[in-house]
Amino acid sequence: MKKEPIIPESRDPAFIEQVIKTPVGEKIPTCMQCGICAGSCPVSQEMDYSPRELVRMVQLGLKKEVLSSSTIWICTTCFSCSVRCPRGIHPTELMETLKPIAIAEGIKNRNVKFDNVFSDVIKTNGRASEFLLISKYSLTEPGMIKQLPFGLSMMVKGKLPLSIQRMENTRELEAIFNLGEKSREKK
Amino acid sequence: MKYSYYPGCAQHGTAVDYRISVGAVFGRLGIDLEEVKNWNCCGALHVPDRTVKTGLCARTLASARGLDMATPCNLCYSNLMRARVALQDSALRTMVNEALIEKYDGNTKPKHLLEVIVKDLGLAKLTEQVKRPLKIKAVPYYGCLLTRPENDFDSPQNPKSLDELILSLGAEPVKYYYKTKCCGGPILLTDEDIALGLAKELLVMAKETGADCIVVTCPMCHLQLDAKQKAVESKFNIRIDLSVIYFTQLMGLAMGFDPKELGLSQHLVPTHKLIAKIGGRQ
Repeated sequence: MKKEPIIPESRDPAFIEQVIKTPVGEKIPTCMQCGICAGSCPVSQEMDYSPRELVRMVQLGLKKEVLSSSTIWICTTCFSCSVRCPRGIHPTELMETLKPIAIAEGIKNRNVKFDNVFSDVIKTNGRASEFLLISKYSLTEPGMIKQLPFGLSMMVKGKLPLSIQRMENTRELEAIFNLGEKSREKK
Repeated sequence: MKYSYYPGCAQHGTAVDYRISVGAVFGRLGIDLEEVKNWNCCGALHVPDRTVKTGLCARTLASARGLDMATPCNLCYSNLMRARVALQDSALRTMVNEALIEKYDGNTKPKHLLEVIVKDLGLAKLTEQVKRPLKIKAVPYYGCLLTRPENDFDSPQNPKSLDELILSLGAEPVKYYYKTKCCGGPILLTDEDIALGLAKELLVMAKETGADCIVVTCPMCHLQLDAKQKAVESKFNIRIDLSVIYFTQLMGLAMGFDPKELGLSQHLVPTHKLIAKIGGRQ
């Protein structure tokens, strides 16, 4: 992604407030840009903005740039930054917090597609079956076809069963999946 | 010793070999793992809403029936631990409990199987069961989520428990600076090039130690380092050929099990060289 110069008009105070009132938001204003997060991150060189830059962008309220960044999706959720941040900011948890906000804002990419497929499978069956996940995801990502030989090698070893894992009783799942909406209403 | 047991989804798919070895080893040690009935997925890393994930884990924690809850998977362990911490907030617990039939009281303690062996059983007890000390060098690879963000049995940045377990089986844990560096598993399906790059770094560094195998505690790490090893080799035009085994398989080999009883024939990187070195039957 090409980085545009930041102009004052792109700052959104409501976005700052939205993030700061989340469970991980409180410490964000204390970031001193030391860069331990970016230095600890195994994938910061692959991101359009490093975790350090992203925290600064949240401080500035750059909603559009933050939510459309690749950073929050490339994050592997390894928590290296979170256990090292001297300000206790927990950047990994910040990425997690930003994902549902980005989805609600209509951000679309293959990571969102996969998360949707995964959530649907869990909501319906209660358990994840690798074959079902990969098949459903492949329908939206034709590039997955090149994984076919790998899938076959897993099948030969008995590691990719075609059967679908399912809970005996899935009746609580709908209420559990509604908790996300419910927690947003309470705020 | 008795635990309620939360296997997680991978045990019936990509980690079937892990499941076989857990059954063999824990059975021999007399540790009773009573599988939770009608369990659900922990949400892994791909249910994006944190409250939903906490709800999924709360349902699991509520089914522990007063026992500690053991789990073989780093992802499941991490999610259960995080939910346990988050649900100490009584307002959140009340809201989550409204969605559950069996309510969570806030008391279940999740434990990774490695913690069960190292802390609860104790390595001295394990050593008593060693019939074939393993004269090999092994890479202790912990991955991310065994110790981060929440755990209460080892250091999040420089853990030692797997090193100690390897040592207690007669093998030598090599110094491995990447022992808690990410394997790339969570982004394998969406950003494969980046994920394979991370796996490559781990594999090359492991190979350089001169070890006979990498020891893992997590189905996703195993998938990346074993099942995807060939993809790493062809993408980067390198040769690794290094067996990657679960810590329960390593225990089983030392305890004298036949490799077949441990699921070792189900790996994608062949394990016969390792088994031959240990002196086990193929």
